[in-house]
Amino acid sequence: MRGTLAVYQKELATYFRSPIAYFVVAVFLLGTGYFFLYNILLSGDATMAGTFQSMGILLLSVVPLLSMRLFAGEHSGGTIELLMTLPLGPWQVVLGKYLGAVTILLVITAGTLVDLVPLYLFGNPETLTILAGYIGFVLLGMACLAIGQLCSALTQNQIIAAMLTAAVLLGLWFVGHLQSFQSPASALRGLFAYLSFSLHFVDFIQGLVRSEAVVFYGLVCAVALALNAAYLEWRR
Amino acid sequence: MGRAVSPAVTSPPPLIQLESVSKRYGSRTVVHDLSFDVGKGEVVGFLGPNGAGKTTTMRMIAGYSAATAGRVRVAGYDMATDNVAAARRIGYLPERPPLYDTLDVAAYLRFVARVKRVPRSAIPAELDRVAAACRIEPVFRREIYKLSRGYRQRVGLAQALLGAPDVLLLDEPTAGLDPGQIQETREVIRAFGSDHAVLLSTHILPEATLICRRVAIIHHGRLLAIDSPAGLQRAVEETERVILEVTAPPGPLRDALLAVDGVSTVELRPASPAGGALIADCRIERRDGVESAIARAVAGPWDLHRLERQQATLESIFLRYVDRAGGGPPA
Repeated sequence: MRGTLAVYQKELATYFRSPIAYFVVAVFLLGTGYFFLYNILLSGDATMAGTFQSMGILLLSVVPLLSMRLFAGEHSGGTIELLMTLPLGPWQVVLGKYLGAVTILLVITAGTLVDLVPLYLFGNPETLTILAGYIGFVLLGMACLAIGQLCSALTQNQIIAAMLTAAVLLGLWFVGHLQSFQSPASALRGLFAYLSFSLHFVDFIQGLVRSEAVVFYGLVCAVALALNAAYLEWRR
Repeated sequence: MGRAVSPAVTSPPPLIQLESVSKRYGSRTVVHDLSFDVGKGEVVGFLGPNGAGKTTTMRMIAGYSAATAGRVRVAGYDMATDNVAAARRIGYLPERPPLYDTLDVAAYLRFVARVKRVPRSAIPAELDRVAAACRIEPVFRREIYKLSRGYRQRVGLAQALLGAPDVLLLDEPTAGLDPGQIQETREVIRAFGSDHAVLLSTHILPEATLICRRVAIIHHGRLLAIDSPAGLQRAVEETERVILEVTAPPGPLRDALLAVDGVSTVELRPASPAGGALIADCRIERRDGVESAIARAVAGPWDLHRLERQQATLESIFLRYVDRAGGGPPA
């Protein structure tokens, strides 16, 4: 536990002492603010639905920037040799790093709460729907970060890590569209729908916190992190 | 009636133990069947040309990579299965100091100390101890990316010393340091080595002679020799050379030298282009008394200006071993 906590605190210090975290937070909040204004002014409804949809897509572009350095950065900085020879199990390294990245996600999420101020001042939004949207956004972000961290462990180059993450996340975001193709195998269509990050997220945006969706995102996190830890051990 | 008890002389097991260790990357074998031990209170030098397998071996001992065959034990732990438990007993400075550039020195060392399970209350004192030993107090609060190469190397060494590990693995620890810093670092290693096990790889051969009790020579992933610097010298040089500077006629001088028991060959050349004194380069057998017999034979009839014994340097020993092993990589 102490080792995980030490890695976590080191990760946070590294994020906040480098420009990356500030840049990512700023880009995300500016983007969210823009889409919020655009959606509100376009529809005139006091709802976050359109903004959440945009936040999901923005997340796909900032997660690779956040996660690319998690392991690939340790390789380029020469610190992977330290990390893997300290008295830390692979799980402690993986969890410490992951929790650090999730903390940045939570900071980003907290930053978007500012959009709610005009919503509540000038409208009458549905609080539970908004809450469900935020739960979905955090779960989506956690799943994206777990995949990004795994991709970062698979390569020693941060740019390749970011591109690999972006490709995988885009694939998982749009895979749901494949179910509309004329496919003879309905099981395959079901699988495409189940794997879709966006279809599960839409449920949350509509105010539905379905256990199936929660389990899905949780499963993605668990599988990606387990593969990450197993890969670190295997690489030895 | 008393039972005869044989005194059980149990010496402590070596802190670093390599048993027939090999490392393969695909079809390429980088380390072949390597076996050696490093005991407590020993500083062992690891010598070899670039690409000899030094860093790969260090990494296997540190637990960064696992051996393909054979067994690596550190402080009794099998590094294939118990590397995390063993890591508490190891301080490791890789070839490139593993530093987080954005952190300041204190934050970096605190992170390593916490992971190495230094008790929270003991961390400040522990940081002070390693900072003093490595002379990094002036940069203690500075961000690592602002440090000079010498300070980076020393912060890396400080990190390895944290938690007072039993085993210290240092890959080129004096690279990038100025002569004063090299001296200080050697002192730190020597002091540490007096009651710990230290394995250090180096290109600087005099360094190995100065601070290592034993030297291992590795080439193409194979251990060519491991012995004390003096032992290696004895093994390589069955003969030594004696150089004389004498004013004498060449023919009688050569005859007089060859008449001395123990002198095998004599080469003569003029000491200066102007003529006069001669330099006699004699190859002699390794035994006592040969030099004084030469001196007696020469100093009587002629003027002997200089007599010196040439011993093999670690450089020449190293090159001799590497030459013996052959230039090309093994199949």
